[in-house]
Amino acid sequence: MKDRRGKWRILIFFLCIGAVSVGCARLEKEDGKKSVRIGVSLYRGDDTFINNIRGELENCAKDYEQKQGVKVTLDIQDAKGNQNTQNNQVERFISLGCDVMCINPVDRTAASVIIDKAMTAGIPLVFFNRQPVEEDMNRWDQLYYVGAAAKESAVLQGSILVEQYKKDPGSLDINGDGVISYVLLEGESSHQDSLIRTEWSIQTLKDGGVPIEKITGGIANWERSQASALMEQWLEQYPDTIELVICNNDDMALGAIDALERAGDGGANLVGIDATIPGLEAVRSGKLLGTVSADKERYAGAIFSLASAKALGEEIDPDISLEGGKYYWCPQVAVTEN
Amino acid sequence: MITGKEKVLWILYGTVLLVLFLLSSTDLIIKEKEGEIYSVSVVVEKTADDDYVNFRKGAERAAIELNADVSFITLYEEGNQKQQTELLLREQQDGSRALIVSPVDQEAVARLLSEKRVTVPMVLLNSEIPSTGDGATARIAFDYYAMGRQLGEQVLTEQPPGQMVYLIGGQVADMVSQRFLDGILSVIVPSGRCLVSRQQKGKEGWKAFVEGLGRPGGQVAGEVVIALDPGSLAEVAQLLAEDPAHASYVDGLYGRGTTVRILNYLDKGVINGLCITDDFSAGYLSVKTAVELSGNQVPADMGYLESHYIKKEDLRKEDYEKLLYPIE
Repeated sequence: MKDRRGKWRILIFFLCIGAVSVGCARLEKEDGKKSVRIGVSLYRGDDTFINNIRGELENCAKDYEQKQGVKVTLDIQDAKGNQNTQNNQVERFISLGCDVMCINPVDRTAASVIIDKAMTAGIPLVFFNRQPVEEDMNRWDQLYYVGAAAKESAVLQGSILVEQYKKDPGSLDINGDGVISYVLLEGESSHQDSLIRTEWSIQTLKDGGVPIEKITGGIANWERSQASALMEQWLEQYPDTIELVICNNDDMALGAIDALERAGDGGANLVGIDATIPGLEAVRSGKLLGTVSADKERYAGAIFSLASAKALGEEIDPDISLEGGKYYWCPQVAVTEN
Repeated sequence: MITGKEKVLWILYGTVLLVLFLLSSTDLIIKEKEGEIYSVSVVVEKTADDDYVNFRKGAERAAIELNADVSFITLYEEGNQKQQTELLLREQQDGSRALIVSPVDQEAVARLLSEKRVTVPMVLLNSEIPSTGDGATARIAFDYYAMGRQLGEQVLTEQPPGQMVYLIGGQVADMVSQRFLDGILSVIVPSGRCLVSRQQKGKEGWKAFVEGLGRPGGQVAGEVVIALDPGSLAEVAQLLAEDPAHASYVDGLYGRGTTVRILNYLDKGVINGLCITDDFSAGYLSVKTAVELSGNQVPADMGYLESHYIKKEDLRKEDYEKLLYPIE
């Protein structure tokens, strides 16, 4: 009899502990998280487009803090083009207890190392701008990607030139020989966007009936200074020949403008992609024929929205429409002086 | 049939395996020393970190070396002391072990300390609030008055007499711009060599001011512009770079700042002379001092940190290159 009563007491004791634990867990959930910590690693902080996105992310965080009353700590780090540095930054984010990580990979083919670390720590990942390979993205259901579709950017860039040609062929065919001679400034060969942008920009020109002839092309790694050096070289090699400079991004277009200005050559037309602040200024001043703008507010807004939802364990905003539950493609528009 | 000796050996073997497991995989026997993380919050007076790029690099370097977790916080609205106070109190409540603050309003921050609303150690950037010396506060500062005097002397040396000197910027009543202005005026006014005019920013920034250059009525030999804050300097430099007609009226553009944008304008010759500060060291020392204060150490008084006056030709000098483009 005494023994049976003892067993009941033990059972009641454990039931009480269980009830208290469940109660505490509920209380924590109802109370809600009052702060989130987001680790952001940029492939290179001096890239103008990435820097613009960084600025917008900071604005998003401030807006969110003010509207939601949730403290947002953004740990933004610059990997300076070094994958090992970025891997170390990811480790530091994990040790600092980040709730979610937003990664702009240095090497998109090396994202698996970062994914491994995040999966082990159970921290969701939002990649942006440089798309990891599909096999990596399919490894976990807590992986997301935000970017601008490279094909769309290229088609819009090509359409700026097609429209211009239809309106005034002489403005592109400067020497009037019936063919537009162009040079091409490309981004990193390892970046998926540079290959697609090049291919579809040219294809759109051909489809639009613009007669073109390639003089030469080169990889300037998205950088203004490298583009400027290449362009300077081409201006010496092909004097009075270049009529059009097609650039995979605005920074390289600005580098080509620098070289043209140094050479005192104002003849060639240029097009870029990204609509960075200096790029838009160049469009306004007529130095750049056009560029392609991914809405940077929406771009950064999507990154932040995904990150904050994951950090707080909330549902993803229905306005962020995800392709395959993982990919968000930011809408784009062509920007010209008109 | 297992003998008693074999049983003992098996038990011994199992025990050794268990001990080895506990040694290698748990901290039951050997306790791993946990590194103490110092949580430090930096709250500045600006809404963006443009003027704090090198400062942040220094702070991040110190954070890695000293195992600190540094949060860099900007305001929602420029020059809003109420917001700064709220952010300081929030950071304290959220567990920051030390605060680094560039005050919007010196007196308000001094009140926070005197009323004991802030109880964690505080490092004051460019502040005139005296360091208490008791481990509660410390100061990291540049001597902006001396910097202003140095700039004033350079302007008098480089420019001929009879110039009109326009002083622009520094609208937000910040101590730094005020001390810089006092320093400049303390040299230029007594010299009697030029006229001084304080200008106000218009609705479109400094555009109207730049467009008004070149119309002083022929009473002066030329025009010199001195910007009291980095933002105004960068804006006027850009306007002059884009408007060669008005730029031709300006004999000299001077100011202070270390942003890449400003340095590029110095390199292009748009800016004639620049006062620069060692922001990397300021960031590093701020975090180091904060960590020391939170560890109950009383840091040594560092006095003022170094600042310099440079011209275009100095940009490539090794010492200045290290200072202006620090490697993290």
